[in-house]
Amino acid sequence: MSMQPRYTRVMTPSGVRDFLPREAARKRAVEAALKTTFERWGYEEVITPTVEFLESLAQSNGPDMAEKAYRLFDREGHTLALRYDVTTPIARIVATRLKDEPRPVRLHYVANVFRHEELRAGRQREFWQAGVELVGAPGPAADAEIIALAATALEAAGLREFRLDIGQVGYFNGIIAGVELERDVRRALRRALLQRDYVALPQVVAETGLPESKQRLLNELPRLQGRGEAIERALSLADNDGSRAAAENLAAVYRALEAYGVQDRVWVDFGMIKDLDYYTGMVLEGYSPDVGFPVCTGGRYDQLIAKFGVDCPATGFVIGVERIMQALEGQSAPGEDGRPAPAWLVASDAAGRTQAIEAAARLRADGLRVVADVMERSLDEALEYARARGIENVAFFTAGSRRTFHGPGLQEREGGPC
Amino acid sequence: MLTVALPKGRLLGDLVPLFRRAGLDVSGIAAADRRLVINGGPVRFLICRASDVPTFVEYGAADVGVAGKDVLWETEHDVAELLDLKLGRCEMVVAVPKRSGIQRVTQLGFNSRVATKYPRVAARYFREQGIQVDVIPLHGNIELAPLVGLADAVVDITETGRTLRENDLVPIASVGVSTARLIANRVRCKLQYEPIAALTAALRQGLERGLESHD
Repeated sequence: MSMQPRYTRVMTPSGVRDFLPREAARKRAVEAALKTTFERWGYEEVITPTVEFLESLAQSNGPDMAEKAYRLFDREGHTLALRYDVTTPIARIVATRLKDEPRPVRLHYVANVFRHEELRAGRQREFWQAGVELVGAPGPAADAEIIALAATALEAAGLREFRLDIGQVGYFNGIIAGVELERDVRRALRRALLQRDYVALPQVVAETGLPESKQRLLNELPRLQGRGEAIERALSLADNDGSRAAAENLAAVYRALEAYGVQDRVWVDFGMIKDLDYYTGMVLEGYSPDVGFPVCTGGRYDQLIAKFGVDCPATGFVIGVERIMQALEGQSAPGEDGRPAPAWLVASDAAGRTQAIEAAARLRADGLRVVADVMERSLDEALEYARARGIENVAFFTAGSRRTFHGPGLQEREGGPC
Repeated sequence: MLTVALPKGRLLGDLVPLFRRAGLDVSGIAAADRRLVINGGPVRFLICRASDVPTFVEYGAADVGVAGKDVLWETEHDVAELLDLKLGRCEMVVAVPKRSGIQRVTQLGFNSRVATKYPRVAARYFREQGIQVDVIPLHGNIELAPLVGLADAVVDITETGRTLRENDLVPIASVGVSTARLIANRVRCKLQYEPIAALTAALRQGLERGLESHD
């Protein structure tokens, strides 16, 4: 006998949710806008499995994944995991099944991913991602396309106020490259920048024992941001070839953005350190004032695909679908109520049934949303149901006759299209 | 306009002069008794429970806030930490009853019970020391727990050590020193970079002025 508490029958587990019709319609509208934009830029859709081998998914995802992946076992004893991101499966695909495709390859996806997150501050355990990967193009023009596409897609989804912050991980890496740092110190340094713990940063920097000039530069990173002039500043402050090359690369990306007309959406931040170890160049995060977390994240990851056997540069981004929905709620865009009610209710008595069903078919063929009564409702009952559902056209068929009702008050009118 | 979440209680009394020295209009806070939202020129203040400040900031209900490092250790919120305000200084310690004779944490027995308002900090600290303990979360009057046999040790914050002494507890280890920090929402500290940077700089100056006036 089941001793399960009742809530396991009537509720869903923490971190997953239902989308009722109104929310589902809003979600699909966001996804459709993103998808249409991706397709217009030549990014083709791929659909990857919900379940894959853990070993494959673990190639790009750091130690976090060990704790957060939903795991299961197949009948042969392999460890499997639910889809954790889509970039990694795409890396696998382009290194294997699409390995002979002419480069660059442009792919997009819209998919749900699963992570056992601590439930706080806007995190869910199943959430939806829409993203693109531009594979096989190494230069700043490719990174500029990715940034411009992110801006275009966010606009297409209806976001009015947003900003894209771009950085270059090579700038930070250049400062500490070739310097012997204890693993703990290096980790603490990355952590302080990643978490934006600017109280700890100067203390950690002091512990590195690096030369004075490098310490100053590390402490300056949080302030090394602004419009294009921040890149100039970064260039003049760079004390090594790696940082200089990174700043020059970002300058080229930024210049290329001008032609797309999205420069005013872009902010440069050399203090932006991403949490994934795999970023190798330009990095990207998108923010909306109404959402306390990034709505978009991405960048260049030239090392990942090699883990699947083919050395190949790549860049891309991912947008959090629910976060866009939240941002749109914040700016309360008018006319985006979602869930349009059906246009027509068609009902009848027993004798008028065939005519009613045929009329419904004609209206549907014209592209209208039509519900046909299946409850044998009387005229009054049909009108009452239509009012409750917000349906503004009702047709009621009896043997050889038809009455139609229109408008919010469902006034009877002679004739009509039905 | 920036929204600033401030902790009510004793720390607020220290923050008001600091914010005044930083050039902010804090007259509303000084005058307010029960109001929780106070306008101060270009800034709006929210007065909330100290341990809730990071939550308001993490979710973006406030752009910036002031929270004790002890609270940040415990709650591990994803917020930016901009400035050490050097106020509300206290030490988080492991303390035991004097009569126990214990002098080091390693002398605590296997599965000793540790009472604390900071269960995560305590669990992390003992894990790092390689000591297995049972953490007992309490909401207040932690010192009571060892007196009545509920716990063998406590992890708590102390300013002067007086409350510990009065309850015959002696500190045997320091977990860390906590001060008040200026924190910011991680998106707002980017989108509102200029006003938040200006506030940070003003508070830094306010701190320096405060130090001079003590000389």
